[in-house]
Amino acid sequence: MKFKMNMRKRHIMEGYSFIMLWIVGFMAFMAIPLGRSIYYSFQNLSPSKAGLVAEYVGTQHFRAAFTVDVQFLPLLQSTFTNMLTHVPLVLIFAMTSALLLNRHFRGRMLFRGIFFLPVIIASGTTLKKLMEQGATNLPIFLDYDLYNMLRLFIPGDLLINLLTYADALTMVMWDAGVQTLIFLAGLQTISPALYEAAKCDGATKWESFWKITFPMIMPMILVNTLFTMVSSFTRADNGVMDYINQRVFAENNYGYASALGWIYFVLIFIMIGIVFLLFRRSLSSMEGR
Amino acid sequence: MANPQQFINNLKVSDKINPAVKFYTIKKSKSFVGNLFYYFVLLSLSFVFLYPLLYMVSKSLMQTWDVADATVRWVPHQLNFHNYGVAFTEMKYWQGLTNSTIISLGSALLQIVSCSLIGYGFARYRFPLYGLWFVLLIFTFLVPPQTIVVPLYMFFSDLGWINTHLPFIVPAAFGHGLQGALFILIFIQFYRRLPAVLEEAARIDGAGAFRTYWQIMFPLGRPAMITVFLFSIVWHWNDNFQPSLYLRLPPFYNLAQRMNGFYGKASMTADQMSTSVSSGAIGMAPTVMNQMMAGVVLSVIPILILYLFVQRYFVESIERAGIAGE
Repeated sequence: MKFKMNMRKRHIMEGYSFIMLWIVGFMAFMAIPLGRSIYYSFQNLSPSKAGLVAEYVGTQHFRAAFTVDVQFLPLLQSTFTNMLTHVPLVLIFAMTSALLLNRHFRGRMLFRGIFFLPVIIASGTTLKKLMEQGATNLPIFLDYDLYNMLRLFIPGDLLINLLTYADALTMVMWDAGVQTLIFLAGLQTISPALYEAAKCDGATKWESFWKITFPMIMPMILVNTLFTMVSSFTRADNGVMDYINQRVFAENNYGYASALGWIYFVLIFIMIGIVFLLFRRSLSSMEGR
Repeated sequence: MANPQQFINNLKVSDKINPAVKFYTIKKSKSFVGNLFYYFVLLSLSFVFLYPLLYMVSKSLMQTWDVADATVRWVPHQLNFHNYGVAFTEMKYWQGLTNSTIISLGSALLQIVSCSLIGYGFARYRFPLYGLWFVLLIFTFLVPPQTIVVPLYMFFSDLGWINTHLPFIVPAAFGHGLQGALFILIFIQFYRRLPAVLEEAARIDGAGAFRTYWQIMFPLGRPAMITVFLFSIVWHWNDNFQPSLYLRLPPFYNLAQRMNGFYGKASMTADQMSTSVSSGAIGMAPTVMNQMMAGVVLSVIPILILYLFVQRYFVESIERAGIAGE
């Protein structure tokens, strides 16, 4: 007998057969581990000969993280404040480089290749090694006599802060590779006709940036914000990440590590929720266009 | 107007003092200064991006006397590859390279196949619970690996997969693994943009859903594939977090781990690092920085070479693939 299905059912079957692989993977590598890690976070796990022995301790780990642990909260705080300054700077810089690279000029491909180079070199372990050597700062700002030269014009306290910020910019620039590419891809999708129309109506470059470019790449700004946030939470130099690893592998404190992981995750989720809320208005106005 | 100069030469004399032409030439010279400034900005930014590479290479070629010499800033007095020799043997380079290659290449190829398939499913089909699965896909992208590190480690150790390459390769085959969700999103975005006419034609000619995908759509996905391939290989190559969880014995270490544990010969080697629980307790020997940098160069050089080859296609493919959401 021929297997009969109507079009709609067949469409659904085919769709599911394409994503089935992912659903299976999701269960095995995401849903079940997540569930188990919630369970562990309420337990005390102690290694013994018969494997791990679990003992229910309620919310003890969560309370300990906020009251007893003297290292976790400061680490958490510094991670989040770093992120708050880092993300806007990365976005602004990525946007600037994307605008620079979007023009037609000789050697465009070469420069694009160079701008993306830090993603290859200055990431992960290599970045960690470079940081250990203090090579993540250019010797321009704090070396040399820039401080003494500028002190004549800018008050000393302010100047030190400014130069330290400028010094941190190297990291911002190295981190902006992927974001630059996303913006670049976004800029390519904007029709030149829009700019021409704006020019005919007498808009300056500045105006057409804010009235055309900016709203058109709003979705990419959202994508980039999320990407930068997620990558800054999982960076090689992130203190929280190291701290949780130590709890697992140096102390075998599985239950507590799971609890810390969950606190971290919930906070990240709240931050991302806020970002979505901020972007919602501009995105919904885009769709109504 | 191919050649502006030729255009001006071809004009009659009376035209040459024509204000419009004058305006044209003035504008030209103005844009020359603009261009100069533009290239200046690009070049100075390029320096910042090339800096880590220059730093690594220059330091790795220096010897102890060069470091002590204040006149040496970038270029050492003589070319000496001694550091590379030390780093090469101390890191057991070939062993590390093999491990890194299996993990990165294996995961990257599997992620291309699986993420493309899944991305196509999400891009072209609408089914019940579509919204739920899509939200869960975004969710997987956002969950930090630390949150599930404990159960995942136990899961793999129950299966006996510790010190094998399977914890990297198997999740990749299911469209998970390192940044799997992001790669699926890239493919979704790419397939959504392709016109549906192509598939309709294939379906009318009698091809089934999978055949249509495999023979028509998958080969068309090449721009997105290059992007995913490069990202996947680079991130797996540089990642130290997951390997440090699943590869616990020195012979199985990948290059990133070896590099991480390598501080020069005077100090401890990667093998000794793992046996001593805390290196701080015994007191670390001073780092031999130049040898360490040679180790860093050695471990990034394979992907750097890969990048040199695919860079061109990669940057082009970004334009066509559109790695961003819309």
